[in-house]
Amino acid sequence: MSTESENIEELVNRRYAHGFVTDIASEGLPPGLNEDVVRAISALKEEPEFMLEWRLRAYRQWLEMVEPEWAHVHYPRIDYNSISYYSAPKSDKDRPKSLDEVDPKLLETYDKLGIPLHERARLAGVAVDAVFDSVSVATTFKKKLSEAGVIFCSFSEAVKNHPELVRKYLGTVVPQRDNFFAALNSAVFSDGSFVYIPKGVRCPMELSTYFRINAANTGQFERTLIVADEGSHVSYLEGCTAPMRDENQLHAAVVELVALKDAEIKYSTVQNWYPGDENGVGGIYNFVTKRGDCRGANSKISWTQVETGSAITWKYPSCILRGNNSVGEFYSVAVANNYQQADTGTKMIHIGRNTRSTIVSKGISAGHAQNAYRGLVRVMPQAQGARNHTQCDSLLIGKECGAHTFPYMEIKNPSARIEHEATTSKISADQLFYCRQRGISEEDAVNMIVNGFCKEVFNELPMEFAVEAQALLNVSLEGAVG
Amino acid sequence: MSEPAFNHEALLQAVRDLPVDSLTASRRDAANLFVARGFPTVRDEDWKYTDLSNVIEISQQSLQVASAPAAIDEDLLRQTQANLDAHWIVIANGKVLEQHSPGTNIPGVQSGSLQKTDLAIDEPLADLNLALLRDGLKLDICAEFAPDKPLGLLFIDTVENAVASTHARVNISLERNANARIVEAHVSSGPAQHYSNCVLHLDLAEGAVCEYLRLQDRATNHSQTARLNVSLKRDSSLHHGSFDLGGRLTRNDLNVAIQGRNATARFNGLYIVADGQHVDNHTKVDHLVGPAISQQEYRGVLSGHCRAVWNGKAIVHKGADGTDATQANHNLLLSDAAEIDAKPELEIDADDVKCAHGTTVGQLDERALFYLRARGISKPDAKRILTRAFAATIVNTSPISEAHEFLGGQVEERLRTIDDGRQS
Repeated sequence: MSTESENIEELVNRRYAHGFVTDIASEGLPPGLNEDVVRAISALKEEPEFMLEWRLRAYRQWLEMVEPEWAHVHYPRIDYNSISYYSAPKSDKDRPKSLDEVDPKLLETYDKLGIPLHERARLAGVAVDAVFDSVSVATTFKKKLSEAGVIFCSFSEAVKNHPELVRKYLGTVVPQRDNFFAALNSAVFSDGSFVYIPKGVRCPMELSTYFRINAANTGQFERTLIVADEGSHVSYLEGCTAPMRDENQLHAAVVELVALKDAEIKYSTVQNWYPGDENGVGGIYNFVTKRGDCRGANSKISWTQVETGSAITWKYPSCILRGNNSVGEFYSVAVANNYQQADTGTKMIHIGRNTRSTIVSKGISAGHAQNAYRGLVRVMPQAQGARNHTQCDSLLIGKECGAHTFPYMEIKNPSARIEHEATTSKISADQLFYCRQRGISEEDAVNMIVNGFCKEVFNELPMEFAVEAQALLNVSLEGAVG
Repeated sequence: MSEPAFNHEALLQAVRDLPVDSLTASRRDAANLFVARGFPTVRDEDWKYTDLSNVIEISQQSLQVASAPAAIDEDLLRQTQANLDAHWIVIANGKVLEQHSPGTNIPGVQSGSLQKTDLAIDEPLADLNLALLRDGLKLDICAEFAPDKPLGLLFIDTVENAVASTHARVNISLERNANARIVEAHVSSGPAQHYSNCVLHLDLAEGAVCEYLRLQDRATNHSQTARLNVSLKRDSSLHHGSFDLGGRLTRNDLNVAIQGRNATARFNGLYIVADGQHVDNHTKVDHLVGPAISQQEYRGVLSGHCRAVWNGKAIVHKGADGTDATQANHNLLLSDAAEIDAKPELEIDADDVKCAHGTTVGQLDERALFYLRARGISKPDAKRILTRAFAATIVNTSPISEAHEFLGGQVEERLRTIDDGRQS
């Protein structure tokens, strides 16, 4: 296996392709967290009184909470007072009217990422609400969306223009004191996206936000709220890359989805934040709370995620299946290489009658990485006829990595049908030999096998994301043969 | 949730009051360790679904009531011994009953007292067990051991009107290439509440083979926590079967450490949980070296207002290549108020492994019921047939084949009670 190991070394040594820093002077708050900082953020964003009160309540609750330690990840203690809680690109004050007015350096950043904003938006028919650091700088396709009655804007705009909607739904899925990081986010969140799909509307295009962390030492605290009113449908795409930094950056986002009667939300993520270098130095800490609430009957929420980045991932996109006949889905590919640690999974809470959930989780570990699936399926006593199928498979590449499975099943109704399956395996010498014998290079063979392993999840991704995800996976893992 | 207060001073006093012997120092150390940590609570991950409040209350009260242990329920003793044929060693209310324990004197078995070195188990309930241990037993089984029937360990507890708790501990070692079949039975009777805390250690040396059957059939007002720690050396093999049919609250911890190559651990279990009962099975297999095999299958039938917990953990440590670990857990929920909490865990730090687990929770298969009904079988009968078949998988593959008939009968009896409850 000597050629293989050379191959591995060569590929493991590959540098992070998206590592660069755009040199834009940032205007931000000094590091530290106290009530004044919370007030300052709220004032900078010109928020109404109710938002400030909401933030302060969250902050006071956060002070009483302790950081969770149960996840299968290890990292040095975070000093929350050494983080700056707000930064914005300098050109904030006179906001650009169109893309042409956008700071060319910003556009350059997007170019480097391989997603020229306007082109991509126009060609793919995708409206992009680009979040660069903490302030939205460009929003496209507003017109087409507004014709359909769809509200798609940055969170701060929503607070100003649609306070009644924000007030009605904010914090109803992820309450302020839900967990340590959600409380922190509720207190200091900077910006994010807001989507409202009115009754009976099928959103005319796929909505996409390109998140990006830029300024050093800036925690990014995104807040996303998607409300699908009765009978509506929306597909939302989220993708991210981050520049190379040696200091760990904290990211604690909160995503709330609300699906009313007969509504459907499809939320897809490709996450490729900086995972740290090959020695585990640097990288993003990604502590995210994502939760969807199937509030009405026959509603559906589907999470699809491809997680290849971040030094530490702590993320459990969940569904509360409250409405009768509601459906929750979770499709995930989590790749951890080098010294990455991922503790990810989902929660499916069955409350309504005849609720169904499907969980398909594929974990791939390579190098020294640790990858854990942690999931909960809870069937409440009133959830007559609940159905769950869970499948979590792990693929190990190399001798130093780990794959772990912690599924919880709490079943309080006898009519529930719950199935859970898990397997762990490696790419076998037989499989490789078979491919090599047919003239397929080792690298291609590994790609093929890994892609086959993940196919079930990729099939759930929107077309353009699926292509990106596949390429991402190949870059992340090529040649790492065990 | 607030736990009942436990008076640690009373515990330390009770430990001081025990007669002085070779274990005295170890008891006091263990008592101090226990006081430092206290009882596990539902905030501890391993005890998330099992609330020990009742056990704490019983422990507390039994420390205060310094009454002499009740006389042994001879009928129950004879009955149990008649049901399962074995060379019995009887541990009654925490003390070895010499006159009923021919098993200590058969060729190939050396019995003795526990030494300080046999005692280290880092777990609060094991500390409590040691602190209040009156009589520990150590059994060494030699390669010459070849009896006609299994060796039996019978834990029998009898209480009268006073609440009581007992603490028992047995260490069993199988010498190199020894071959032993062991039956462990837990029974109890009496009107008052009772808590039994058993800690067992089973050590299999190179090439040793052990069939081990554990049957817990306590009175339904009696609770039990039981721990069995197993270490397996090279080429050794353990086949363990576990049956939980009685008890109010039962918690079993089965920890297997695979320390030698080519060791095999196979363990199956059946729990039949009825109204008012709580059965918690925690299993953990540490694959420290490979290749080695571990296989486990637990099945549960739940009825009435009850709760069952199953937590299976397979840990494949770095370097344990060639590990083959499988876990399966299947549950049949027969009533609205039954709850199952299942958690099959895998922690894998080696890549050349084959690991899988599967868990199901459900009712009887409607299609299978229809199949039987279409052939003229009444609905209750059809249900009975399918429930029996579900449980029979474990009974028929359990160790100690001569016990199958008795076990089958016991299981049948429990299921009949469920049927009766279902019809009324």
